[in-house]
Amino acid sequence: MSAQLQENRDSVVLYGRRWSRENAGLSRTFDILVVIIMFIAITAAFHLHFQLTVGDWDFWVDWKDRQYWVTATPILLMAFPAALQYVFWEKFRLPIAATVCMLGLTLGIWITRYSGFHTWSYFPFSMVWPATMIAGGLILDAVLLLSGSALITAIIGGMSFGLLFYPANWPLLAPFRLPMEAMNSLVSVGDYIGYAYTRTSTPEYLRFIERGTLRTFGGHSAVVSAFFSGFVCILVYLLWWYIGMAFARVATLPNRMKSFMGLHDRGAEGKDA
Amino acid sequence: MSSVIQSSGEVRSASASRPRAMVNLKPAIFAMLGIVVIMAGYRIYQQIFAWSAGLDSTDPAFETYWMGLLKGELVLLVLSWAGLWSWLWITRDRNLQALKPREEMRRYFNLVLYIMVYAFCVYFTGSFFAEMDASWHQTVVRDTAFTPSHVILFYGTIPLYILFGVGGFLYAMTRLPRFAERISIPHALAVAGPFLILPNLGYNEWGHAFWMMEEFFSAPLHWGFVVLGWSVLALGGLLLQIARHVFETMGRLEQEASA
Repeated sequence: MSAQLQENRDSVVLYGRRWSRENAGLSRTFDILVVIIMFIAITAAFHLHFQLTVGDWDFWVDWKDRQYWVTATPILLMAFPAALQYVFWEKFRLPIAATVCMLGLTLGIWITRYSGFHTWSYFPFSMVWPATMIAGGLILDAVLLLSGSALITAIIGGMSFGLLFYPANWPLLAPFRLPMEAMNSLVSVGDYIGYAYTRTSTPEYLRFIERGTLRTFGGHSAVVSAFFSGFVCILVYLLWWYIGMAFARVATLPNRMKSFMGLHDRGAEGKDA
Repeated sequence: MSSVIQSSGEVRSASASRPRAMVNLKPAIFAMLGIVVIMAGYRIYQQIFAWSAGLDSTDPAFETYWMGLLKGELVLLVLSWAGLWSWLWITRDRNLQALKPREEMRRYFNLVLYIMVYAFCVYFTGSFFAEMDASWHQTVVRDTAFTPSHVILFYGTIPLYILFGVGGFLYAMTRLPRFAERISIPHALAVAGPFLILPNLGYNEWGHAFWMMEEFFSAPLHWGFVVLGWSVLALGGLLLQIARHVFETMGRLEQEASA
């Protein structure tokens, strides 16, 4: 009995396994460090990917159009959540990867949008506010948790990810889609902000400018774009799930510099990764 | 408190016989605080001198404030790379076969902390100063490759993460038996991909010298950075590999304790 008590005092149960107290503490410390590393690294790499593929539509309120913004943003956003869902779900059974990705991205974007576009380049924040993508991340994780299947997550989660982007951003965007008359043209408030604040390096011809039609304000074409985006998201999800699998593979090659490093050959020892 | 590397590879404090703590967070925390100070300094420098002295590369003030900073960074780059990497190489453990589990565990945690500092530096390049670059170049027409944004993003922050990325790789190769025996592919990818962003600047600046690409930040000219940035995902594979080794070392620690 006393031996049992002593064993309980010296050990703890963690992840369904009995550990010595020292190892349990090390394991917890390791977990915390890994969480910090992954959050910082995901924020950095995902933000870089995002800004250099669809950043322009996110930087400016007048670029948030009914077609390219709605279509391209979810498709390119799907990459990291899908790849990391493989790692988080298959290796740790954690259904949080997509939400973590979106939270990291949102944090990274807000910090720089304020520090760069607002306080360095002096654009009003109403012109450079970032879109929100957290709803899509939540739905992807929820579908993966409920189904436990990458294929079902691709079909239902991927389609929902594309479809949700526009309505999730509508409360932010709606005030900038109000109609107004400027220089005898019917334009949206967002477009007018684009006219008023000059971007010296960004010529007007790049912008999607529509005047005087119902499409100027979104309309049915935004819904069609969202459906098309959802369809491509299904395919992109599967592609990136397998890319995540490749990156998470623990592979090694023999170190041919061992003798140069002054180390002796250990023979077959240590061949497994 | 000084330390010595014994023939068994076990590091002990010179003034005490008990082994060091297996997780020493202090160097990593001090490194990260130092990085925050440097990055805050860079950002304040941009705020003060970008608009006042960074718009015209033929202006003598530009030479003073921006080319002067660039030259200073290039000197620091060479000194810091040569200093840390050669120190890691010269002080390498040549007797890894005799490494005790306790010391091996301590080194695994040191490697994880190296990776944490590396990821922290990558944040300032990939997220913070990269989008700052968009905010500058979509507003100001450039007349040089060494703009107030580039001097800090490309020649200030990228060399810093390369310092810790390659440093961590060398640390693993020279102090951990598993990493000395076999080269970790995810580790090589996680370090080499972001490292290659620096030489990819050659292509980037070559393109910008021909075309006015800054008008569109998502331009194909920038996609090389995107693909190289994907290699950060290999940190997942690397951390899985380290977790596997840490778990195996824990088993040896328990055996040692029970013996």
